[in-house]
Amino acid sequence: MKELDVRGLSCPMPLMHTKKALEDDPAEIMVHADSGTAKANVVAFLQDAGYSVTVDQSGEEYKIKGTR
Amino acid sequence: MTKRRVIGPTAWLVGGAGLFIGAVAAWLVSQGNPGNMGLCIACFWRDITGYFFGQWTNQAAVAYIRPEIIGIILGAVVAALVTKEFKPRGGSSPLLRFVLGFIFMSSALVFLGCTVRAWVRLGGGDLTAIWGIIGIIIGVVIGIQILKSGYNLGRAKSMAAPLGWLLPALAIVLLVFAVLSADGTKSDFATLTPANGRAVIPGEVVVAPEGDGLKVLKPADASVVDGAVVAADGTVLADAEKVAATKPMPGGKRAALIISLFAGLAIGVVAQRSRFCSIGGIRDAILVRRFDLLFGVVGLVIGATIVNMIFGQYNLGFEAQPVAHNDILGNIAAMVIAALAAVMLGGCPLRQMIMGSEGDVDGLVAVIGMIAGAGFTHWFGLASSPAGLTDKAWPSLAVMAVILGVIAFIKRARTA
Repeated sequence: MKELDVRGLSCPMPLMHTKKALEDDPAEIMVHADSGTAKANVVAFLQDAGYSVTVDQSGEEYKIKGTR
Repeated sequence: MTKRRVIGPTAWLVGGAGLFIGAVAAWLVSQGNPGNMGLCIACFWRDITGYFFGQWTNQAAVAYIRPEIIGIILGAVVAALVTKEFKPRGGSSPLLRFVLGFIFMSSALVFLGCTVRAWVRLGGGDLTAIWGIIGIIIGVVIGIQILKSGYNLGRAKSMAAPLGWLLPALAIVLLVFAVLSADGTKSDFATLTPANGRAVIPGEVVVAPEGDGLKVLKPADASVVDGAVVAADGTVLADAEKVAATKPMPGGKRAALIISLFAGLAIGVVAQRSRFCSIGGIRDAILVRRFDLLFGVVGLVIGATIVNMIFGQYNLGFEAQPVAHNDILGNIAAMVIAALAAVMLGGCPLRQMIMGSEGDVDGLVAVIGMIAGAGFTHWFGLASSPAGLTDKAWPSLAVMAVILGVIAFIKRARTA
């Protein structure tokens, strides 16, 4: 599984990193985010790329998991 | 990578948000706001700066606490709290974010509006906004090259809770001053452009409507005689023709406080939920082939256009547009700088305000930079007027470009 940490990054870096990670076409990807905007953007981006997405919020962090 | 869906459901949501924001902005003009200025983050913070510092910054014509700003912040705070997205954080190069906010404001006031108002102006039929939008596209393209070089202001980290509440607290302070000065009275230190006030001779003769006629606000002992302003000793200070030709000062044109406040609240909620951004659309479309935010600005232009047409405010053309000038290169260059500064901040001034309302101290710092930039720009005499750019505009824009270049250089490829 591919894992990414975009916590604390300004726009559009969370999406830049996510897009780059998808270039290898991983079956599973986990993105760690800590702002609502990064979460929303990454979730929409993964869904548009055909992943089914679950978000697990623990404390300050969103764990966004994409599977296909 | 398999083919990605280009337009997902979220694109339509952001588009709807833009449609709503544009419609509200155009409606606010029908309620009294200056032409094509139902929503302008730069102009509105500039007016607020004028209220507090106007006597030092020569801002008598643009001094008013815009309740839209208060509403946007409070609306975004509530939306962020309800969705548990309020998180005190910051520490991502705050000093540089202050500088970027300062430069954003200074260049926006050369254009006469922020990146949000560029789209709002287009929705009013103001074709000079096209020069600004060309500037935004160029600025964003340059910004993308900088982002690709690894430019990064560093990661934000969690911060102590009280810091996250600074911008909401500022909004409450502004609300208190706005309510106290709603009837036109103000404290001695403050500057307040009179409602619908007209500066016949700036700083010397100011009149405001009263019933069907006019009353003289300045100088105190003068009066209106047959449409002319006449001093107590009989001297004609301004003849009737001159008085009749004078237009209201921008700061004096405003919707009622309660209307502006609630419109702002609605915009704040919608902007927080949708992540609407006036520069992110072009940026994301080019950089990551994502079009959601582009739907937002297109929606804004459509919403503003429809509502402006309904209220008979739509005026298509390049000439005589409200609070705008048609200096083609000046408009382009000013928005190149503003859009580049916004890309380097990670979002437009509306986004910075929304982030500040979510507890992001970095967003707050950018707003403070904008306030300082507004005061400086008017004090220095850099702000444009409908007549065009000032002598200081080009040298100042060049200095701003150099500073942005230096920031881009020192913060390149240092990924945290």
